[in-house]
Amino acid sequence: MDHEDRQPHRIPTGHGDEVELAIFSPKMHQTHFPSLQITGYLLSIILTLLAFGMVAYHWMPMASLIPVILILAFIQAGLQLGIFMHLREGRGTTWQIPVLALAVSIGLGIVGFSIWIMMFKSGVS
Amino acid sequence: MDIKLWTLHLLKVLFPPQVLLPDIVAIDIGLTVATIVIGAYLTKTRKWGWLWHEWLTTVDHKKIGIMYLIAALIMLFRGGVDALMIRSQLIAPNAHFMGAQQYDEVFTTHGTVMIFFMAMPMIFALFNATIPLMIGARDVAFPRLNAISFWLFAFGAILLNISFSIGGSPSAGWMSYPPYSELLYNPGVGENYFLLSLQIAGIGTIATGINFLVTILRMRAPGMSLSKMPIFVWASLITSSLVLFAFPPLTVALGLTMLDRVFGASFFTLGHQGMPMMYVNLFWIFGHPEVYILVMPAFGVFSEVVPTFSRKALFGYEAMVGSLLAISFLSYGTWVHHFFEMGAGPTVNVFFGLSTMLIAIPTGVKMFNWIFTMWGGRIRLTVPMLWQLAFIPTFVVGGATGIMLAAVPGDYQYHNSYFLIAHFHNVILGGTVFGVLSGMYYWWPKMFGWNLNQRQGTWAFALFVGGFWLTFMPQYFLGFEGMTRRMATYPAGLGWTALNVWSTVGAFVMGAGFVVMVYNILWSRMHPDWDTTGDPWDGRTLEWSLPSPAPEYNFARIPVVRSRDEWWSMKQEGRTDEVKTSEATVRPIHMPRNTPMPIMLAAAFFVGAIGLIFGWFWMAILGGVGVVAALAYGSFADYSEIEIDAKKVLKTEAQLGRVES
Ligand code: HEM
Ligand SMILES: [Cu+2]
Repeated sequence: MDHEDRQPHRIPTGHGDEVELAIFSPKMHQTHFPSLQITGYLLSIILTLLAFGMVAYHWMPMASLIPVILILAFIQAGLQLGIFMHLREGRGTTWQIPVLALAVSIGLGIVGFSIWIMMFKSGVS
Repeated sequence: MDIKLWTLHLLKVLFPPQVLLPDIVAIDIGLTVATIVIGAYLTKTRKWGWLWHEWLTTVDHKKIGIMYLIAALIMLFRGGVDALMIRSQLIAPNAHFMGAQQYDEVFTTHGTVMIFFMAMPMIFALFNATIPLMIGARDVAFPRLNAISFWLFAFGAILLNISFSIGGSPSAGWMSYPPYSELLYNPGVGENYFLLSLQIAGIGTIATGINFLVTILRMRAPGMSLSKMPIFVWASLITSSLVLFAFPPLTVALGLTMLDRVFGASFFTLGHQGMPMMYVNLFWIFGHPEVYILVMPAFGVFSEVVPTFSRKALFGYEAMVGSLLAISFLSYGTWVHHFFEMGAGPTVNVFFGLSTMLIAIPTGVKMFNWIFTMWGGRIRLTVPMLWQLAFIPTFVVGGATGIMLAAVPGDYQYHNSYFLIAHFHNVILGGTVFGVLSGMYYWWPKMFGWNLNQRQGTWAFALFVGGFWLTFMPQYFLGFEGMTRRMATYPAGLGWTALNVWSTVGAFVMGAGFVVMVYNILWSRMHPDWDTTGDPWDGRTLEWSLPSPAPEYNFARIPVVRSRDEWWSMKQEGRTDEVKTSEATVRPIHMPRNTPMPIMLAAAFFVGAIGLIFGWFWMAILGGVGVVAALAYGSFADYSEIEIDAKKVLKTEAQLGRVES
């Protein structure tokens, strides 16, 4: 029995045929050159260098620096999700929406709260 | 360069004065002798091949679980010795059994080892030993990645542990705050050891988190919907997702600190407009969820232990799951309570003070669930159950003092005093450690096939718990009396002496408890009481439907799950034959094949880390090349599986008496 033709509604027999061990179905037989992945990899490196350069070499005044870095971060995250995290392929895409929403809210929460905390609107210290 | 000078220089780097203290040299000699003896024994009995094929290259989750457990117990010993050294120094005022530098190194190692190299692997030992068995799977989703995780952890642990004899130990505390962790104030390689060992082990931890998330979400037996999963599996699922979100900030914090120290960057430095407080912020974005990573699996263990030994289904399954989810969500919004004193401002502090207090509500819900499960049940006082009974009052005290710390003005008084020390030992020992020990005693027969002696186990329990209360209750009062944490010694006449004496006595009682526990294990190994039933506790969940220990493929026949406590209902409804195979139904089984790639990969990381620690960049590059080579080997040459043919399965099952005629 092949892994590919399995239907979710098939009645399991309890003989192990419904168990998925990911190691058994590696998708290794793709033949085309992974040009998309390589582009994504190079782009991520460029984006990182850009952000680093802006801070290290003062390419921009402080006020616009933070928003620009945040925008770069969003582009970077989009690249990662789209190219490396297989967001566009695969089963159960609806499944991914709540998980993604959680991840985004935690990510934004961490960044937003950190900025708030580090502003030191402090009376005492 | 003159070769003699060069060697001299190398020796000075490898063996600075702080690693040449007499006690350390004595330990070095002891360890060398022990290594030689073990090596000679393995050679004499021709066991090297066995070690390599059965253990070092294994991808079997059950064996990986056992290796995690052994490593964690060794680390518990190491961290425990550190603790006894700390307490010995503090037994009397003006004691100088250790110098201040060595004292700092010892408490740093104690904290780091206990959190990252004892508690975490202990938790992963339980995950590995039980999760696939509980959900009716034959292995985890990514068995080879699982082995990679283990070996990364193991080499990370080795790295931290050799620092005290080669190059010098870290001394900046387990949180390693700048500016003291800065190169300027903390030269030498100790801090680099800290950074690199945690970084390597951390990669393994993230991989474990992903592995168990996928395993639990995608590999459950047919019929086991999310709402039929055992609570331990729920707790593991949620813990794994916490790992996934919490460890990356730590990776960033450690990585940037490394850039500061090794490559002269200034992210967290005092000079060059660095922001030391940003390290503290990042560290605790990781750190607070981490404490829940530590305690949730313990909640899971107790949710298995209590129903089994009360002969009742768990009270309030839905409330249990809901409160686990609530705790995990809230735990992301509380991290500032670790640095109220930074002075981010009243609004920030009040926000995080309140969010912290909120966590007590779902925690309280769980307490009542366990108590109501026991209520009216037929309770058996086995060793796992004793640990759970000790957990309830201990954790309540820890939680209550946590609320006191969450009250901001109060925390300005308690912060970094012995009150804080007592709080987190109360929750980490009373929660995590009691929990994993309960789990260890509970699943031991399943892991090894023989039971642990109950009487000795009870003694170990009594000594450990008694010692625990004696150690940490006085520390609350020491905190009130103004004794701050991390003091290498203290003057007489402050009213601290008597309390410190009690605390030290308690620590040694706890140490005696650990010794009895080890004796318990060794004695039970030598006088084995074999578990022939596979179900020594009259358990409720699927792992008890298997023989102890389970065969390498776990389930010859994957069970079809109909209810929450499936094995219990099978027993009640006389359906236990469902777990048996027969000649007609047996099928060949595919299992992943052993591979040397994980240990090679981790060894390459180790070499690279040594290079970075000592600033020998050729060696760091060599390690990096090794990592790439191991990955390439793994991707192209190494993916394979074995097939256990049906006849062999049938034979194994027949020997275990699990074949229907
Ligand atoms: C009701 C639950 C809890 C509350 C309200 C609470 C509150 C707090 C607060 C406010 C602090 C910071 C105190 C200070 O630095 O001055 C703290 C520290 C700490 N807590 Fe808790 N806590 C709770 C449960 C836990 C649990 C379950 C664990 C671990 C299993 C834990 C582990 C720690 C650790 C490790 C520290 C301090 C680490 C350090 O500074 O080295 N806490 N807790
Ligand atoms: Cu916290």
